[in-house]
Amino acid sequence: MIEIKNVSKIYDGNIVALQDINLRFKEGELIILKGVSGSGKSTILSLIAGLSKPTLGEITVDKKKISKLPDHFAASYRRDNIGIVFQKYNLIPTLSVTENVLLPLFPLNLPRELMKEKSSNVLQKFSIEHKANVIVKNLSGGEQQRVAIARANINDPKIILADEPTANLDEKLSLEFIEILRELKSKKRTIIIATHDPLFFDLDIVDRTVSIEHGKLL
Amino acid sequence: MFLTPEIITLTVLNFLFVIFATIAFVNALKIVLYYNADATTSYQYALEKKSYLSATIIKFIFYVKIPLFIFFVYTLDSLSNLLPGAMCAAGVVSATSYGTPLLFLKILNLYIFAFWIVLNDEDMKYEGQPYLKKKFLLFCVAYFLLIAEIVLESVMFGAMDINSVVDCCGAIFSTTSQTYLSEILATSPTVLLGLFYGVFLLMIVSYIFKNRYIYSFLNILFVLISLITLIAFFGTYIYEQPTHHCPFCLLQSDYNYIGYFLYIVLFVGTFFGFTLGIIEFDDQELQKRFHISLLYNSLYVAVVSYYPLLYYVKNGVWL
Repeated sequence: MIEIKNVSKIYDGNIVALQDINLRFKEGELIILKGVSGSGKSTILSLIAGLSKPTLGEITVDKKKISKLPDHFAASYRRDNIGIVFQKYNLIPTLSVTENVLLPLFPLNLPRELMKEKSSNVLQKFSIEHKANVIVKNLSGGEQQRVAIARANINDPKIILADEPTANLDEKLSLEFIEILRELKSKKRTIIIATHDPLFFDLDIVDRTVSIEHGKLL
Repeated sequence: MFLTPEIITLTVLNFLFVIFATIAFVNALKIVLYYNADATTSYQYALEKKSYLSATIIKFIFYVKIPLFIFFVYTLDSLSNLLPGAMCAAGVVSATSYGTPLLFLKILNLYIFAFWIVLNDEDMKYEGQPYLKKKFLLFCVAYFLLIAEIVLESVMFGAMDINSVVDCCGAIFSTTSQTYLSEILATSPTVLLGLFYGVFLLMIVSYIFKNRYIYSFLNILFVLISLITLIAFFGTYIYEQPTHHCPFCLLQSDYNYIGYFLYIVLFVGTFFGFTLGIIEFDDQELQKRFHISLLYNSLYVAVVSYYPLLYYVKNGVWL
């Protein structure tokens, strides 16, 4: 369970991104964080991922105080528990699809064969195995997103965070992404999506929609 | 007072140390007084960020101080060319009343900062950072010692007079001078060597039985007895002169800079041994530190023992 307790986040001393936020996400839930650009959705994702710390308040994941973790422990926690799909995918354009997907595994020093097996499985799962050796910058937007999702899932994380995942996709590709979400949800993954794409708002797989405006919950 | 490029370099670096160490000290003081790991206030989060900044500054100071200590000794050695009467760094150290305390303070600070780094590394291994307050409290003490060292160093360089004749090492480390050192130097070599090899033997026994507290204590004794025997006995075989007891001439090219090797090996061996009794390492780390300490201490014993043995084999007599 993810719990956000009395969290505020202020950047540079005066830019208030979040103000006294209280939220709870149950295991296996699919939640939409809805709001316009600058409302604070991405900040919530970044706090849950341990990418940044709150100015005030506390974030716990399965009773572990994420907001209190020293930086290198936050990195391990993120690697083991969180899969992140960024709006601009954050892939390394000069590496191949396989190399990008394997990136989260490199610090684990796993045997070569096991890494190969894991990458092959995840690429197959997200239907991108035929592009395994292609350099990422030569892929289309939809394919790049599949690589980003595959990378986010290579460690089999229990929490998946997606920040505006369909912002750069046409409707067909967006629907494909929703199918992927459906599959992940069936595997009891907790999924939190920050978006203002109306396509998500009435989906049957969505458990809850949380609206944010000017850093406050509505 | 006179300025050489080496003194200017040391002075500029000392100035930077004062600035950075003061920033770290102010943060360390706040952490010691107000840090509360359970709090989720903005002040606590700010302190957590400051703890990383301060730890980085302190690490930076230590990592620069290690080579700087060697550079300091080199500077003392090079200044001996400018002070009439001085033959090596010993003459420069004794040129003012600040030299000897400064040297001891520098060695003490080196051990304290090295200990701080070990404490910091251990602290960062655990999510709860169990040594956080202790390490910053230690730094608060170390800060004053560091400032004292820097002040003493500046005063020493300032007090040096190029026109005054100073003693050479032959006079300072003489068995006939009226000092505590001369009394130590006059002690029977059998007694000193008995203590030296005896402590080393006990160290091996405590290593075998893995008694970290006794091993740690023996390392403190070992560093003291090693320095005494180096000056009183082993040094004379390195110089191949029965009356030459200087611990600084070992650092010169005439003796293949063997002093740098001996002092570094002794520092590493005893430091790793000393920390065993103070910090609760996990089993793997404990074993590793036992091995490193005994390896370096054994290397030191082997190298210093080699010189008298070689002399005896070559000449058939002891000095």
